[in-house]
Amino acid sequence: MKTQTGTIALSAGRWPSFARWKKRGVQTMIFVAPFVVYGIFLLCYGVNPVDLYVSMVKSAFGDLYGFGEVLLKATPFVLTGLAAALPAKAGLVNVGGEGQLAIGALFATWFAVFYLNAMPALLGIPLMLIAGALGGAVWAGLVAVLKVKGRLNETITSVLLNYVATFTVGFFVHGMLKDPDSFNWPFSPEISSSLRLPIVNGTRLHIGFVVALVLAALVWFVLAKTRLGFRIRVLGSNRLAAERAGFNINKMYFWVLISAGMLAGIAGMIEIAGIEGRLRASTGANFGYLGFLAAMMAWNHPLRLIVTAFLLGMISVAGNTLEIGSGLPSSSVNILMALVLFFILGGRRWSR
Amino acid sequence: MILADILTGAIRSGTSVMLASQGELVSERAGVINLGTEGSMLGGALGGFAVTVWTGNPWLGALAGGLCGLLIASIHAFLVLSCGANQLATGLTIMFFGMGVTAFFGRGFVSEQIVGFNPVALPLLSDIPFLGPILFNHDPLTYLSILLVPLLWYVIFRTRIGIMLRTAGEREEVLFASGINPKLVRYLAVLAGGFLAGIGGAQLSIAYTHAWVENMTAGRGVVAVALVIFASWKPARAMLGAYLFGAAQALQLTVQQQGYAISPFFLFMVPYLLTLLALLIVERRKSSRTPEALGKVFAGEGSG
Repeated sequence: MKTQTGTIALSAGRWPSFARWKKRGVQTMIFVAPFVVYGIFLLCYGVNPVDLYVSMVKSAFGDLYGFGEVLLKATPFVLTGLAAALPAKAGLVNVGGEGQLAIGALFATWFAVFYLNAMPALLGIPLMLIAGALGGAVWAGLVAVLKVKGRLNETITSVLLNYVATFTVGFFVHGMLKDPDSFNWPFSPEISSSLRLPIVNGTRLHIGFVVALVLAALVWFVLAKTRLGFRIRVLGSNRLAAERAGFNINKMYFWVLISAGMLAGIAGMIEIAGIEGRLRASTGANFGYLGFLAAMMAWNHPLRLIVTAFLLGMISVAGNTLEIGSGLPSSSVNILMALVLFFILGGRRWSR
Repeated sequence: MILADILTGAIRSGTSVMLASQGELVSERAGVINLGTEGSMLGGALGGFAVTVWTGNPWLGALAGGLCGLLIASIHAFLVLSCGANQLATGLTIMFFGMGVTAFFGRGFVSEQIVGFNPVALPLLSDIPFLGPILFNHDPLTYLSILLVPLLWYVIFRTRIGIMLRTAGEREEVLFASGINPKLVRYLAVLAGGFLAGIGGAQLSIAYTHAWVENMTAGRGVVAVALVIFASWKPARAMLGAYLFGAAQALQLTVQQQGYAISPFFLFMVPYLLTLLALLIVERRKSSRTPEALGKVFAGEGSG
């Protein structure tokens, strides 16, 4: 894509050509349009959209706490987004971030509660992170095995397994992992305070965000700068070429999916160690789907993904503002998110 | 007696999935996979329930449910067919959209109660020992849905419309050559699929649970999509698969009533695991039954 625009700019001399401006314009319109449509929707319910958008930006950038909240929301989206973006580069559609996150959170909590409780933070937190990654990898491993050995399409199996994962977590928080002191509420015991992620003063933001950024940079580096990444991209853009070049395609599919599961599993661990402190059946609900959407908005680019995850984080926080400020349920921002995606999906043809 | 309970329950709770899978089958025969079926079902469940609450007439409710499903599927059709968007990604977005929209508009209906459709025992037929109560004691939508299956088979395999539909999914050049716009055929197929999924969702809320619960389809739309693959794009086998899914759900209710000490969460999983297993078995001995245009979607080239 870049080389193309380059040639157009060359042919028109030093000035950016009309075609280029047109592309920019279309891209801007695609970004603005869903907010306009959603604004009209809000007007129908007696909410002033301008006020909402202003308060959305204010609550995100107005003070340190608000900014921290947005970053906090964006953290799992970056990771589950990577879990979708990395396989997408290999031509796979992994929608299993949801289940991989849940099982990652389950593994992380299990290890934290039963084995790591007495450990110092410097040892316990990394081990808990590994446990989370392991959980995600196990769940993605199911999809990978079904894909490689059973030749089943990974989109459908990963969505089906999301439901199974939710029930698995439900089983554990109602049973073996239930807090004995919880008066029968279905959640796990709280993990020890030494396993909680360190927090930035004045906010709720924890260092999990840094972990997400580092992993995004790592995925970008591998994809863009290494031979392995090149092979993955070849496989994703032209499977036939990859076959002819003698790549072991099944092996690549398998490990790409496992890595994706690890990323989503780490998101689950961060939710537990960073925010919730204990596992509930609802932990991380919808984060996997939102991450998938963030990846799609970023066209599966790991660094652009940070920006789109931040945007989705902002919209999520705005959901709370909306609920407090106007009485509309916070779920109504899901409509805004879907609208943003509809325009991106539909506008792709014209913005290239 | 338990067996009869499970078989009756299989039909009762499988009907919504069955309707959705028949709709998805039509759409996939034309070469469009629609994961947004889940969204269409949710839209149908809420729309059908709302209209039944307002009018008290479940038939109007079912119709409204179908129209809501159609409306949601029309977004999929437009984005995929007219804008060339990726089919799988668009379907997922629509699933998400359906969840958001119905959660928003449905919050006023959570505590509403309706009469809706209730089982009607067919005279004489329902007196047949064992089979009678299993097959002939259902709500009217279920009877209609059973009639739909042979009808769809006839339309798809024995009529001109069916040939057009299948050609759109296999070789669109042929349609072009005979002066028919394949895009139009696909549009109609996706809309018909959405309509059926919407009625399926409405059956769930008007006839099965008699209530609206947020996100009540719980993956039935995705299961419907999976079942179509399991069924090798054949209506009767999709029906069988849907009733299998229903049986797994009925089993869960029966086991709970009998008081066995099995965790309900394992039973919740069974229908989904069974669907996966069914897919695996079919994949083992699948020939080249996949409509050609669909094969491209699965290979990651799906757009338009």
